[in-house]
Amino acid sequence: MTTEGAAAPLGPLSERVVEALGALGGRLEREPFEVRVVLPARVIVDAVRTARAAGFDLLSDVFAIDWLRYPGHQGPRFSVDYNLYSIEHGERLFLRVDVDEDEPVPSITGAWKAATFLEREVYDMFGLRFSGHPDLRKIHTPEDLEGHPLRKDFPLGETPTLFNDGRFLDPAAFRAGMIGASGGLTGWVGGARKGVVAEQVDPAPAAPRPGATRGDEGER
Amino acid sequence: MTVKPAGYQAVTLSEERTGDFETKLMRINVGPQHPSTHGVLRLVVDLDGERIARISPVIGYLHTGFEKTMEHRTYQQVVTYSNRMDYVHSFGHDLAYVLSAEQLMAARVPERAQRIRVILTELNRIASHLVFFGTGILDMGALTLFFYTMREREQLLDIFESVTGVRMNFGYFRVGGLYQDVPESFEHDVRAFIRSFPKMLDQYSALFAKNDIFVNRTTGVGVIPAERALEDGLTGPSLRASGVPLDFRKAQPYSGYEDYDFDVPVSTAGDAHARFEVRFQEMRESLKIVEQALDRLEPGPVRDPDRRISLPPRSELETSMEAVIFHFKLVTEGFHPPRGSAYVATESARGELGYYLVSDGGSMPYRVKVRVPSLVNLQSLESACVGGLFADMVVNIATMDPVMGDVDK
Repeated sequence: MTTEGAAAPLGPLSERVVEALGALGGRLEREPFEVRVVLPARVIVDAVRTARAAGFDLLSDVFAIDWLRYPGHQGPRFSVDYNLYSIEHGERLFLRVDVDEDEPVPSITGAWKAATFLEREVYDMFGLRFSGHPDLRKIHTPEDLEGHPLRKDFPLGETPTLFNDGRFLDPAAFRAGMIGASGGLTGWVGGARKGVVAEQVDPAPAAPRPGATRGDEGER
Repeated sequence: MTVKPAGYQAVTLSEERTGDFETKLMRINVGPQHPSTHGVLRLVVDLDGERIARISPVIGYLHTGFEKTMEHRTYQQVVTYSNRMDYVHSFGHDLAYVLSAEQLMAARVPERAQRIRVILTELNRIASHLVFFGTGILDMGALTLFFYTMREREQLLDIFESVTGVRMNFGYFRVGGLYQDVPESFEHDVRAFIRSFPKMLDQYSALFAKNDIFVNRTTGVGVIPAERALEDGLTGPSLRASGVPLDFRKAQPYSGYEDYDFDVPVSTAGDAHARFEVRFQEMRESLKIVEQALDRLEPGPVRDPDRRISLPPRSELETSMEAVIFHFKLVTEGFHPPRGSAYVATESARGELGYYLVSDGGSMPYRVKVRVPSLVNLQSLESACVGGLFADMVVNIATMDPVMGDVDK
């Protein structure tokens, strides 16, 4: 996070809010294109309330960044960013809290309902827990997917996956199927497609149960 | 009797039900495969008689992991993925992405490229609103308008096809400009559309805006007051229908929108009818922008001449070794923006759309976070539906105009 060149301008509203957040322990970071206040996690709800009362009336976004592979990064592994916008003043302000993996972040849903889905998304994608969130469930990924896909150590295309209906996706077999080295999941081996059923290398995977979808939300 | 599930406010049942009767809410599942949900949106609805006591969207059926994929593609390759999220307003997503990437790279986009981008994005906004109108009114049981709007959309898709070669998922914008210049027929085709479309809008207006059935079906339905809309994070035409005049084309102009003279239609009613009306007016405003941009379209380059970003012209590759090296580097590796982050908010057909890019100095983005409007807007469904009739839920979903690819990413 270098700050080369000119820093983003600090509008009058942002200036006031940054000063107020300074009292909460906020540290101003000015990057070329964004104004950001880094805060301790425990004050984030107060900080959001302060900014909202001062005039930042739109919560655009809540998202996380996994700094695991960022060259030269020091400090906690994750950061959670809050993207605020003031409609009247046309200013944008980012709030950031740095957190470690097992450190819960106070949920701002009490201060701003718009964060409900966004915090669920962060929870789903990064596995960060939000304390006080009324409905912290996965939002995008299937119920039976283990792990949090947007973490930097989440392997791409290498996840053994066990589906609800008992089908098991083994990465090695899947890859072999993809490159035509074995029948894989589809039973197709390159060059033997037309009417010829290729020899199954793996035991035939159980056929998907018709109508089997995701976990039943009705039970929760 | 009150019901207190996690995450929702308590719902008090209507008066006639309190008495000796003990009544229960009825839980109904809608979707994910249902025509009125515009894709694969599933809703778990709790009904108190005909009224909705609670509504809970279940999403993720179309989750594709775009953000993760983008982190493993070079900056130029990401354009292939960005437009696949909101497949109805593809150019909007492409534009939002390239703007953020250009901010990181400090690219200078030639004026002609900016104008063409604006023309295509606005035409695409019209096409998106046409889908909204056709399907939205289809959901209410009126079939005719769907054929009308699809007819005009066809004309637009033909223009897009002549420019980009495809009718969906364009991938035509590049970081630093455009893939190539528009064909010669472009100006003629767009002018023909500008001439014919206002008449069509008048026809639509006669078909539905003055239609009693439609007006009664939508007026007062799904009212979202302005404070409630901001609490839910609603943006775009739906927010403007609630009386908040936020349009990022005006508020934080990008791509030269400050040059064009257009209005931002706002309504204060906040109901389904206002959401229709605002989008209807927006189509006329978009047409104004397209016309102005086309008038000012001058010949010129469509790519940043900077060799760090753009491929050298084909003719140079035969004579210049240096050009070959740049070409090789860009194709095999891509360019390397300096460390830092960028976010440019744009106004998509659905609301605030922006790509938050984090660069670690490599040739692929370290983190891509897409601020998709549809996902956040979907939270307003609760504000619009709770307390209303179950039959009005369909109207409310239609007027929120969610595109599920945009919701699930």
